Amino acid sequence: MSDNKGTLEIRNLSKSFIVDNNPLQILNNISLSVSSGAFVTIVGSSGCGKTTLLRIMLGLENHYTGEALIDGKQIIGPGTDRGIVFQDHRLLPWLTVGENVAFGLDKLKQKEKKFLVDEHLKLVGLNGFESAYPYQLSGGMAQRVAIARALANKPEILLLDEPLGALDALTRMYMQQELERLWLLEKITMIMVTHDIDEAIYLSDKVVIMSSRPGVIKKIIDVQLSRPRDRASSDFMRIKAEILQEFHLGTEYPFAYAI
Amino acid sequence: MKKLHISKKTKRILGAIAVPIVFIAFWQLFILAGSPSARFLPSPYKVLQKFVILFSEPTYSHNIAVSLQRVMIGFFIGTLAGFLFGLLMGLSKTAEKIFAPFFHAVRQVPMIGWIPLIIMLFGMNELPRVLIISVAAFYPITLNTFSGVRNVPREYLELASVYGIKGIMLIRKIIIPAALPSITTGISLGLAMSWSVLMVAEIFIQTAFGIGTQIQRGRDRFDIALVLAGIITVGVLGYAMTVLVQKILTAVERGRVISTVK
Repeated sequence: MSDNKGTLEIRNLSKSFIVDNNPLQILNNISLSVSSGAFVTIVGSSGCGKTTLLRIMLGLENHYTGEALIDGKQIIGPGTDRGIVFQDHRLLPWLTVGENVAFGLDKLKQKEKKFLVDEHLKLVGLNGFESAYPYQLSGGMAQRVAIARALANKPEILLLDEPLGALDALTRMYMQQELERLWLLEKITMIMVTHDIDEAIYLSDKVVIMSSRPGVIKKIIDVQLSRPRDRASSDFMRIKAEILQEFHLGTEYPFAYAI
Repeated sequence: MKKLHISKKTKRILGAIAVPIVFIAFWQLFILAGSPSARFLPSPYKVLQKFVILFSEPTYSHNIAVSLQRVMIGFFIGTLAGFLFGLLMGLSKTAEKIFAPFFHAVRQVPMIGWIPLIIMLFGMNELPRVLIISVAAFYPITLNTFSGVRNVPREYLELASVYGIKGIMLIRKIIIPAALPSITTGISLGLAMSWSVLMVAEIFIQTAFGIGTQIQRGRDRFDIALVLAGIITVGVLGYAMTVLVQKILTAVERGRVISTVK
């Protein structure tokens, strides 16, 4: 959105859980700013608090210190300005695809509802599937329905919690292209949590690298490659090496990438 | 080589009646063998004759109608009350804390244990008969509704909260559909309980009509064929009712959970 909607600002945010009566720090002094219409990915190994951070943005976690603002306003609970795609598609098995997409549209009239459902199923390439049931869909299709459900509410920010994590490698790459297409089309802010570094570089303007115990932001890398991106290009590889270095997984001869 | 073709349906029917046929054959053999304990046991043919007589009398169909009505009313009340009570305890931990211990204690008393008290309180009326039938249905429906509501996946509740769905809408859109398989299990069990308690209700709280009354009458007249005809009627009707309700529940669930493959 061009009118500067869908910005996210996180300032000095820390969060602890109580485990066996002892506080366990999950997030430590996180500061992050996401501009309107950006695609930002948060990568990190499991347990780095990236999902917790996303849940804070979503409004499902409310106890923390520091600030989390959307368009300058403190986040209080979930809201229609934010959409979410979970790792499990979380479609309701007793509803059809169409009814699932309409799940958050209760307040609208039947006609508007149908229009939005049709529009968004078409958007994700599943027109004609509205009367199918979730169990009849493949994993990739189900996740596309979940994306349609999130987008049907016209959010300013789409939050994605490892949305492609359960898909096979080829479907996954195809879905990454699809996400990019949707992002270019909808022009909304997307914030995605992933542990797939290629996915992060392929999609994002900004890759936020987190490390664990407690979760801190280690580094933020700007990805200024032109789109669509070539996963095999040397620039892509260079950025990948840079990120892997942060996880101490880089090769000992980094110049090997700088052909 | 030509193979005899038997359709799947025929096979299923043959499979279902095989055991009763063998059972009747043994029954007949037992009598033919002249065993002393079979002295009073009527032959299957005698019972069949009894059925012919029963079908020609209006009392028999009236007995069936009265029993069915009794069960339906009791079962309906028990289902409704059990569903609401189970839902309440499932939704509210406070309600569970208050009611669950009492409920589980009361549940331990077998239905027959209540009969003397119920007769003393209400007399030999229709009300206590219907009451014990509904209580019998109430237990399994409460328990299954409760566990269904409690076990709604956390993920679905989270999804609802993301979309701002709460209160009645949450119950309608998420909790009941998610708990439905468990609720229908409770309903089937409740029906079976109602039906089996029907005999207790009709034999112990004496009444002019009902299949239980017919069995009791057979006993009073030492007409074992009449008793057996009553028992067979209870079994067949109970089975038919279970199948019918099972079909309805499957249809309900299929409509909501799984569509028929197009």
